[in-house]
This record gives sequence, structure tokens and C-alpha cells, in this order.
Amino acid sequence: MGVTVLQQFPVPENKTGTYVIEMLSKRILALGATQQGQFLVDCESYLSHPQMGTTKTVHILHNSEQPASVFSILESGNKNIHVIADGLFDLFMIKLSQHYTSKKQTKIESKGPRFELGDFCIKLGSVTMNQSFKGILIEVEYRPCVTANAVWGLLREFLQGLLGSSTVIQPPQHLKNRMSEIYTPIDTVHQYLELFSAYRKTTALRVQ
Amino acid sequence: MNPSINVEQLNSALTSLRTLRSSVSQVFEALSNGLRADHGEDGKEKFLLELQELLNNVNINLRDLEQTTNGLPIPTGSFNLGNTTYLSQETTQDRQALYTQLVNSYKWTDKVHEYSSFAHSILSQNSLRRSYANSGSTKRRGKLQSNHNVPPGQVDNVINTIDRSYTDMKITISRPYASNAVVQISLGHVLKAVVAFKGLLMEWVMVKGYGETLDLWNESRHNVFRKVTENAHAAMLHFYSPTLPELAVRSFMTWLHSYVNLFSEACKRCGCHLHHTSLLPPAWRDFRTLEPFHDECKQ
Repeated sequence: MGVTVLQQFPVPENKTGTYVIEMLSKRILALGATQQGQFLVDCESYLSHPQMGTTKTVHILHNSEQPASVFSILESGNKNIHVIADGLFDLFMIKLSQHYTSKKQTKIESKGPRFELGDFCIKLGSVTMNQSFKGILIEVEYRPCVTANAVWGLLREFLQGLLGSSTVIQPPQHLKNRMSEIYTPIDTVHQYLELFSAYRKTTALRVQ
Repeated sequence: MNPSINVEQLNSALTSLRTLRSSVSQVFEALSNGLRADHGEDGKEKFLLELQELLNNVNINLRDLEQTTNGLPIPTGSFNLGNTTYLSQETTQDRQALYTQLVNSYKWTDKVHEYSSFAHSILSQNSLRRSYANSGSTKRRGKLQSNHNVPPGQVDNVINTIDRSYTDMKITISRPYASNAVVQISLGHVLKAVVAFKGLLMEWVMVKGYGETLDLWNESRHNVFRKVTENAHAAMLHFYSPTLPELAVRSFMTWLHSYVNLFSEACKRCGCHLHHTSLLPPAWRDFRTLEPFHDECKQ
């Protein structure tokens, strides 16, 4: 497991998401990458029943890179508590449906092609919520290295080469505090949750 | 000097070279066959005598070869094609093909001349001396031979001293194969390496990523560590010195320790982290300055 950076890619006006994905795929293939299947990251959120006191949110995420695991993140105040369990956790959530109700309409996912280029793994995901297109997320993983601060300069150089030098690349909020720690799959999931939450908020703004 | 080479002399030199090669292969054949039934009862002595005779043959043949080659004139520069250039103007159809063959063999001899002159200049510096055969006095040689066969305690001492001098490099010694040490090195959160020792001499290095399982024979799944392994082999040979094995180990470890910034430091020449074609970080460290370079940038 290497260090992963998740980056939003702005979709230009008058352009569709598929067009941008195709353009980026061509760019990556031109660098000499090979396509290695598809990937999918999805996120479903559950709200605790009001009878249980203050409402808490549990996010359940799946990542096709770790197909046997279910990631759950409980929002409680300023702290996020995560649990990594195996596939049965999904059934457990159904059992808990009396206490936690699913917000079906906010089920959000990012899927698309997955590329391998040398030691890099690149995923171009188009984000959809309820079948409506929200944006594009680019995930770049550098697999040989396990600590973010060591590899950050290298990743930034790679991303700038891929997305154009004008893009400003900042370490994701979640990684900022954990730059010198060993990177684990839950860190990728945290990054997805951060950006998924941001996408959900933008829709809310548009509806208003 | 007579520009035309005496063909007969050349022929006899080539023949003596051939006899030398066949006598050497006879030695190896006899050695690999070992004791045979026809050696009889005290086969050991007979076998040794036979081997000695064969080695004597090799010596004689070698002397012959040296004599004949000494007689050969040294080609000063590239050969002149001479009258043969007119072959290009040949009109007879079945002889036209000769010219291309001539040019090809000319190119070939030219290359041989070039390579051998390079090889000569490199070998004359004697930087590739790896055997004890010609390293100084007999007094010293007696001491040297023990480098393959150092007591385990002494090896442990040397390695533990190196271990103590680095805080971010952890070295552990194990001996899975009899008395020879296999050393595992973990360098920060960057890489792991395993080095096989024979006495105090390093024999094999394998570098892998932080999360990978270490073993002596399987390569890392990451390109960058495969490259580092390749460079570590080069470094192992570069630092190799049978006379001062401790220094060799210490220099190698210092060199390996410089990989602590493998991912964070940019190449000193092009200033980039990734090389634009290989997409690898600077996986080469200069032997003297320990500065990082891409493989493609190091020249």
C-alpha cells in the first residue's frame, strides 16, 4: 500500500464528464500506462434515530482496491472514529436499521478506469449521486513509499505533469496532520469521504 | 613496420590459442569427473598426478601462446583496405556480393580494435583485480585468505558497530545457513534490504519496499526497488576489497544509508523527482559524494 492523493479535476464549461475522462485517459496512455480494469468507491450514510440522543452519522464506504473490507466512519463531534470490518458488516447495518436509517438519496460513488504506470496507479473516477453527474476525482497512488511527507514532492511533480502546471496541488486536509505516519487504506477512504461530503454540500446549495 | 601481417605467424598463434583452450577444458573435465575406476586402489595420488600433468600442459601451452603472440606485429591503427577497395567496381555479377562482405568484416575488425584498446587501457589500471593471485607478498596472503572464513563473533562485531552508528538504520543478523551471516537492514520507512555474507565479504544484496516480505531471491514488485537492487549490486562490486573487508562493508552501508531520502530528494542534475521516460525517482547514489541522480543523469 502506497501513498495516495485524491485530487478534484474541474470540468470545463460546455464539456461533459465523459469527454474529460477520455481526454485524461488518452494523456495517461500516451505516457505509456496500461489500463488495468475498472474501480469503484461508494459511500452510503446512515443517521442515528433521534431517540438515541444527538444525531450521529455513520458513513459506510467500499473500495474495490480492498474488496473484502467495509470501511465505516462515525462522525462524533470533532472526532471521526473508523472501523474496518469484513463484508458481513453490510448485513450488520441492515440489522441495525431500527437505530440507523439510511439516507438513500445521498448514496454517492466514484467509478471509472484504473491505470498502471510504472510504480504509479492512477484512477479516473466520475462521481455520481443518484445517477446525476457531480464531478471528476483523480486518484494517484505511488506504491513503493509508505509515508506521505517523503513522497509529497514527487507526487506533486507527477500530478502537475499530468494535470498541467497551472493546477495548484495542496496536500489533502486529512493528510496534513498525518504526513509522517505510515499510510493505510483508511487514509484513502477518509480522503474520499472529505470530497464526497463536499460534493453533497454543493448540491444542497444549488437546490436552495 | 611491415603493414601486411604475416599470415603464417597469425595462424600459428591462433592454433596455439586453440590448444591452450582445449588443454584448459581437459583440466576442468578431469576435475569434474573426479576419481575414476581405472585409477585403481591408491586412486587419490594417481588422480593428483594426472591433474598435475594436465596443469603442466596448460602451462606449456600458455608459454607457447605468449611466445607466438609476442612475435606478432602490433597493429598501430585501423587497417587499410588497400587494393580491395576496387572490389566495389567489380562488374562480374557473382563477385559483386564480395564487397559488402568485405565491408562488414572490415567494420568488425575495426570494432575489435577499438574495444580491445579500451579494454587494454582499463585493465592496465588494474581496477578489476578481484583475486589474491597477484596481491602482494606471501606474508600478507596468509592473512587475506581468512576473509572468507572469519569467526562469526568478529562478523557480528563489525556489523553491530555499523548498526550502532546509525539511528534510522536497523540491522539484524541471522544465520539460517550454517555460519554465514544473512543481514537484514531496514532503513527508516523507506526500504528494507537483505545482504548475504561469506565471512566478511558481501555476496548478494536484495532491496525491497517497506511493506514487502524480505527474502534473498525474489525481486521487489516495485520498479524503483528493482533499480535500487541493481545499483546495490554495482556498489557491492565497487566497494569490494579483499584486503580491507571491514572497510568495504562499512562503505557499502554508508552508501546504502544515503537512500534514506530516496523519495524526498530530487536529482542533482535535472532537478526533478521523476525522470521523464522511466518515471523513477533518482535511484542512483554517487559512490563518493552520495548525491542522488537518475540512472540516465549520472554521466
